[in-house]
Amino acid sequence: MTDERTPADGPRDLAAEYALGVLTGAELLKARELERTDAGFRDEVARWTGRLAPLLDEVDGVAPPDAAWAAIQKRVGPSASNDNNTVVLSRQVARWRGIAGGMTAVAACLSFALIWTLPRTQTQPAPIEHSAPTPAPAPAPAPMVAILGDQGQAAKVVASWDPAAHQLVLAVAGDMKTDENHSHELWVIPKGGKPSSLGTMSASRQMHMRLAQTLAKLLENGATIAISVEPRGGSPTGAPTGPVIASGALTQA
Amino acid sequence: MLLCLPDPPADFCFPSSPSFGIERMMDRVTNDIAARASRDELTRLLAAVSRGDRNAFSGLYKRTAAKLFGICLRLMGNEAEAQEVLQEAYVTVWSKADRFDPVKASPITWLAVLTRNTALDRLRRRNAASEDLSEAAEVEDDRTSAFAILAEAQDATRLYHCLGTLDGRAQAMIRSAFLDGANYPQLAEREGVPLGTMKSWIRRGLQRLRLCLEQ
Repeated sequence: MTDERTPADGPRDLAAEYALGVLTGAELLKARELERTDAGFRDEVARWTGRLAPLLDEVDGVAPPDAAWAAIQKRVGPSASNDNNTVVLSRQVARWRGIAGGMTAVAACLSFALIWTLPRTQTQPAPIEHSAPTPAPAPAPAPMVAILGDQGQAAKVVASWDPAAHQLVLAVAGDMKTDENHSHELWVIPKGGKPSSLGTMSASRQMHMRLAQTLAKLLENGATIAISVEPRGGSPTGAPTGPVIASGALTQA
Repeated sequence: MLLCLPDPPADFCFPSSPSFGIERMMDRVTNDIAARASRDELTRLLAAVSRGDRNAFSGLYKRTAAKLFGICLRLMGNEAEAQEVLQEAYVTVWSKADRFDPVKASPITWLAVLTRNTALDRLRRRNAASEDLSEAAEVEDDRTSAFAILAEAQDATRLYHCLGTLDGRAQAMIRSAFLDGANYPQLAEREGVPLGTMKSWIRRGLQRLRLCLEQ
């Protein structure tokens, strides 16, 4: 593959190409890395974005279907409890962090990141989306957290459950690689109950899922959340068939 | 010639064709005057949204959704995904409205760029699904640029003047990349040229564009 880089090539060109949105593969990853680490690069990207932005004025407006607004309102959560939840949840997690002294720093950061994203944003649609009409929230039940560790107690996944919004957010902390023939399947096991599948996990480091009522009511204080290795696409039997690689109890911290 | 919605806020008027002539420039001047009024309104609404004001959020949606949905449709190419991107963009607006800085960008530009970046993330995930998963994994928490626009440019007249100095091919490719979300391999395939040639066209075009814009 010929790549006729022109003379004045360098980060400045890369910033322009990144803002334009044409990069792929290694070049895209490099641009992302620079964006994270290099303030000069970030500024150059922002400058290019500003330069090119007037082009967007050319795009004709199209009225979106009414359903779009309804869906957005649903995703930004029920009106009253939202902001309170943020505060309550961060306070609870702060306490819980104090208790869980042995937790790894990575997991701590992740749970913090989760708290920040949980109540208001649901940026990524989960690959498994059990859609259900959001029930009118009763007095908002308290959010819960589970640290899913392996047998060596290393935290692998931090799960955060917001019962009011029926929203489960997972952040992957440890190594969770799988091969193309296998999937990681997520389970909830109520105290003294049998595992119910919450679906398979995507390859991303963070997942948001909205759970249907029937599943949501299983996520109670003390229930276990576990991840097993299953054939690609999930367990064929509806129960875990492969090894459990991480698990942890939901606590109302 | 302007296309306007009934009882339009100024931001809903768009030139009906992307021509580069004097007519277009006149349209833009007319637009700009009206836009200034609605710019203040949108700035006020965004500030209220950042404080969690749901009425303001609803007002903001009413005034901007058509514009942003148009961008989603243009980039995603189908209504279902365009709707999902629109939702995602507004959910981001709801949670990140405090990142809007009226000194650096006009509210509608900020919203349009945020929407475009949301659509781009999704296009990359779509592409990456068949190529390199590492690209997809990175996208999600990495949205710095979704909020950053620097003020100094955003000068449409200047941009169109400078685009006009490029050769037609580079101009068309740059426009297509920005507005259709086409990446290097897709543009190369579409034009039937080697990838390296496409990169060269666009890089040179961007370099010349920068020189012109910085004059």
